[in-house]
Amino acid sequence: MGKYFSKAKWSYLFYTITHPMDGYYWIRHQDKGSVPLAILLVVIFSCCFTANRLLSSFVVNDIDPRGVDSLYELIGTLAFFLLLCVSNWSVTCLMGGEGRMKDITIAIGYGTLPMSVVLVLATVVSRFIADDEQAFYGLLIAVGIAYGIIMILIGIMQVHNYTLGKTLLTLLITFVAALIIIFLILLLSNLIGSVYNFFYSIYTELIFRV
Amino acid sequence: MMKNKKFKSVISLCLALILLFETEGTIKALADKLPYDSYNYDYREYIHYTPAAYIPERTVTGLDLSYQGEPIGKFTNPQDLCKSPSGNIYIADTGNNRIVVLDPTMKQVVKIISAFDNGGKEDKFNSPYGVCVSERGWLYVADFKNKRIVVLDENDVLMQIIENPQSESLEDGYVFSPMKVTVDYADRAYVIAQNMFEGIMVFENNGNFSNFFGTIQVEISVWDKFWKRMATKEERSNQMLYIPTEFTGIDIDPEGFVYASNIDPKGVQGVRRLNPQGEDVIKKGENENLGGDLAFTTSTYNQYAGPSQFTDVVYRSKGIYSCLDRRRGRIFTYDHEGNLLYIFGGLGTQAGTFQLPVAVEDIGGRIVVLDATKAAILCFQETEYGRLINEAVGLRYDGDEAEAVEIWGRVLELDENNELANTGIGKAYLTAGDYELAMHYLELGMARDYYSIAYKRYRNEILTANASWVLTGGLVLIAAWVVIKKVKKKKRGAVDLG
Repeated sequence: MGKYFSKAKWSYLFYTITHPMDGYYWIRHQDKGSVPLAILLVVIFSCCFTANRLLSSFVVNDIDPRGVDSLYELIGTLAFFLLLCVSNWSVTCLMGGEGRMKDITIAIGYGTLPMSVVLVLATVVSRFIADDEQAFYGLLIAVGIAYGIIMILIGIMQVHNYTLGKTLLTLLITFVAALIIIFLILLLSNLIGSVYNFFYSIYTELIFRV
Repeated sequence: MMKNKKFKSVISLCLALILLFETEGTIKALADKLPYDSYNYDYREYIHYTPAAYIPERTVTGLDLSYQGEPIGKFTNPQDLCKSPSGNIYIADTGNNRIVVLDPTMKQVVKIISAFDNGGKEDKFNSPYGVCVSERGWLYVADFKNKRIVVLDENDVLMQIIENPQSESLEDGYVFSPMKVTVDYADRAYVIAQNMFEGIMVFENNGNFSNFFGTIQVEISVWDKFWKRMATKEERSNQMLYIPTEFTGIDIDPEGFVYASNIDPKGVQGVRRLNPQGEDVIKKGENENLGGDLAFTTSTYNQYAGPSQFTDVVYRSKGIYSCLDRRRGRIFTYDHEGNLLYIFGGLGTQAGTFQLPVAVEDIGGRIVVLDATKAAILCFQETEYGRLINEAVGLRYDGDEAEAVEIWGRVLELDENNELANTGIGKAYLTAGDYELAMHYLELGMARDYYSIAYKRYRNEILTANASWVLTGGLVLIAAWVVIKKVKKKKRGAVDLG
């Protein structure tokens, strides 16, 4: 455990946030990143997201608290994270990307940190603003999300050693791949269901006849 | 097994007996016996059940009434009722081709109009669908199958017949079949006619057709337009025509604004308030909806599914108006800002429920509904809850929000979740300057704008109250920091020198 969450890994995380180009390069080439840390960051992001939805002030928050389920959102975030990693990996494998699965995981996971920080910050700020100051809140969140997206973009670019154009192209294909994966999963679950039903009906027939 | 069954039946018998005695021995609260639910929608469009705003008082059928000693017989498919300025109630007994006039208590028949003198000859109604009494007491009858509007004065003397309207905007061979009629202060008649999709027909006081009024614009989406362009001519002719919906009911407020209900297939806006130019000036509430139920199922096979269908509207007072939904037999009451105040009523065969409600009227604080199938008039009297809401909304309409606070407080005692009441109280605290309490109530009432104002003032209050010591403290801290730094520098300098 200590290996994954060592002080060096943490400090390198903050180095990556401030120097994404350099940071991601050495993550790829010198294994300076940590996959468990990246997953932890995604979990933290999910918590921050839920916290923002539940705790931001009444002035800016129009979300029905009864519709917020933190566990459900955690599972959803993790599933989306996994889907993104897998589909990006499968696309970049075919398109001459140099990144390994763990590099992609780290690239995306580390990229969520700015968003998490900003979500917490915005939640606190929202408690001190009135209706006509909502723009600050929106701006804060927008900046955080933009930073996070740029981080992820640079991360994917660096670990695969792509140009910016190729990164954008692969990202587009990644989303298509993600949709295909979802489709296949639905198909598979449907099929498994039918097979299960088939055997179950044989079982019930047998039970009725014996 | 057998024993168990016996035991069970004994228990259920006991329970049944207890229930029997319970219902016989005690007088339960009326709300338990109501044949319908009273509810409202909150900010998030969840249903929350409220105390009943109105409860069934009594049902009047033709069998209960007699005129000059003789029973008047059942109503047959009555279609409209209205209130005259003198308080009498006019019922269009459509199937019996007569107008029945009741006194304000609805116990005595004042008169029955089934014929009138038309130029020396006796003339009769044929399926009178709509009735209205003007401010000066003249009776306007939409004589549906005779294709005319008959105007009689207080003594049933024929004053005017409006028929066969002439205008360039009417198609050749147009047949005028009036269904509903209302009259404004200048004796202009507003008529809803069958198959007239261009709006309400307005007639001058001399009986000439003047113009159309309040046409409902058809909204065609981009998607529909695209398909229309794609379709061939043959396909286009087979497609459904985009016809605006017809108005269903009409009423007029003392200022001369026309309230007209219509059936909106989307359930978004079932009622309009038309200014003298015929523009819709109704105010919509927070959710932009004036279409009755917000939550409904959308099965095509279930007759209770789908959006509400407003079949009539009545302007009551102080900006409050009620709409009658024939789909589920409910009455939706809105205030002048478009907030839903309360919902009650239902379909059924019990007393106090409807089968085919067709018309609604406010008579002396009661809500009166005419049911065509039951051929009956159903009266609903307001409860404490309904009265308080009406009163508070009326005070707000007049601008006496401060006076309304006490009443809203009493509404909250009956219905803790009433958002209007919470907002009303919150606004009063806001004007009174108690911002913390105002914030509490405004948040409960989901009034975001006012909450924000209250919060801003609250924040300013705290800032100004604490500004002195925060600023002094800050200055002291800075001074201390500077001094310490200097002292340290000196010391270091001393050490260096040393």
